Amino acid sequence: MRRPLSFLIPLLALAAAALLPLVSGPYPLAVARSVLTYMALAISWDMLLRSGQISFGIAGFFGLGAYAAALSVLRGGMSPILSILFAGVFAGAVALILGLVILRLRAVYFSITTLALAEIFRVIIQNWSDFTGGPEGLVLPKLIFNGESKSLYWLVLAAVVIACAASTMFEKSRIRLALSAIRNNEQSAAASGIGIFKYLLVAFVVSSFIQGIVGGIQLQGYGFASPDAVFDSNYTLLPLAMALLGGIHGTPGPVIGALLLGIAAEFLKLHIPYGHLVVYGIIIVLVILFMPQGLYGLLRSRRHAVAPVAENRVDAGAWGK
Amino acid sequence: MSTLETRGLTRRFGGLVAVNNVSFSLDRGEILGVIGPNGSGKTTFINLVSGVYLPSSGSIMFKGRDITSDAPHLRARAGIARTFQLIHPLQSLTVRENVMLGFLFSRGMRLRQARVEADTICGSLGLERLDRGVAEITMLETKKMEIARALANNPEILFLDEVMAGLNVDETREMVGLVQSVSRRHNIGVGVVEHVMSVIRDLTHRVIVLENGEIIAAGPYEEVSRNPRVIAAYLGGAA
Repeated sequence: MRRPLSFLIPLLALAAAALLPLVSGPYPLAVARSVLTYMALAISWDMLLRSGQISFGIAGFFGLGAYAAALSVLRGGMSPILSILFAGVFAGAVALILGLVILRLRAVYFSITTLALAEIFRVIIQNWSDFTGGPEGLVLPKLIFNGESKSLYWLVLAAVVIACAASTMFEKSRIRLALSAIRNNEQSAAASGIGIFKYLLVAFVVSSFIQGIVGGIQLQGYGFASPDAVFDSNYTLLPLAMALLGGIHGTPGPVIGALLLGIAAEFLKLHIPYGHLVVYGIIIVLVILFMPQGLYGLLRSRRHAVAPVAENRVDAGAWGK
Repeated sequence: MSTLETRGLTRRFGGLVAVNNVSFSLDRGEILGVIGPNGSGKTTFINLVSGVYLPSSGSIMFKGRDITSDAPHLRARAGIARTFQLIHPLQSLTVRENVMLGFLFSRGMRLRQARVEADTICGSLGLERLDRGVAEITMLETKKMEIARALANNPEILFLDEVMAGLNVDETREMVGLVQSVSRRHNIGVGVVEHVMSVIRDLTHRVIVLENGEIIAAGPYEEVSRNPRVIAAYLGGAA
């Protein structure tokens, strides 16, 4: 009863998303593209969160991806599509190397370190002017697909599909059990033979890879990267707020959250410029306090008539474990 | 050589010596009681053997191999399983998934196979309705699940840290029978940390007594329970 539905809904949603450019005007399409960009980031953030590690470094790996794509085209003569892939691999490789060190940290120490890393990336790129173009940034001579908006939209949609596929793979495999166990209690997890560090590293690298890909696509879509633009803290805060609103520890939550908040933000931007940031802040606070399992969690608990574990509240709220 | 042996195992926390020069051995099929007053180092001892802490000095040999500095998950895979005194079941997972972990990660089984094995082992312990979350099960079921989770690692040595705590008389009797049959059926050496002396008397072949991190007596329960030093340790005052 539940299975065909759980298969059908994502498929229908994907079909609708894929067909959107054929019916929509340029403005809604631009909004949709931005929503999808944040959606992919929200999913990737949640994938690491399932291990209990809260990253504030989304913008860091996103920006790294954007610069990797720009430099591989400008200095390496790479093709646009290949440069996007390179952006993901580069961000993933950096995550692998840094992860070996910072994944020994837990809770708020890990979070603060990821925030600092994003800032370090930005400072390095800003000051390494000879290679990176410095504060003025880099401009591509020509956009991918010649900047044709439908193709650009589909490219971002492809990134969302990749993120959803990776996230679903996490959920359907032993990785879900490993990450849940690590999040609940590391001592118990280790007592069942789980190699904690290995799984943390896998989650961190895959989530950074996706963030790099999205950064690469963003660069190819707009043809411009500057330290302030691509390391903007919005790229960290928005995906985080979206995942929290929609519901954490699964694929549907971030998707729902990104749709709602992304569209709401666009609406708010028109009426109260910068007011949307205040709204994000309020949403994060309210959700953590009153709806720790998010909208999707609420939906699910209604359907199963069993209260979901109050554990999410601990995860999202208190780091002092 | 015994299956598990420690030599001069010592662990200091700052100025406190929690475990002091403990040498002991445990064989497959044997049930050993580890007793002592609160703070005598029983749980720290288990934490040293299972790898939660590294010892300040001394060594741990398992099946003739030195595992003194192995990581906890490697010891679980090698065949040393344990339960925890402050039970921390994994609350995001169902009972079945809790038990599947050992099959998946210690024994490297695939999901489908691990599910079948988890059902079998839970069935043998009388655990049912495995789709429930761990918040929905009784204390007795939780304790059984903890044992099932440990057994999933296919252990040769199993430490039970106060697995009877919180159970009533009937439940305790059931658990005693369960531990005995598990030890016999799977030929497992069991180390039991327990405060309930009747459990130690009924269950164990041999007992070691810790006080201030040191072994002050060892032998069969009947002998140890008459030892003046042991009585003094429990009741306080000079023997």
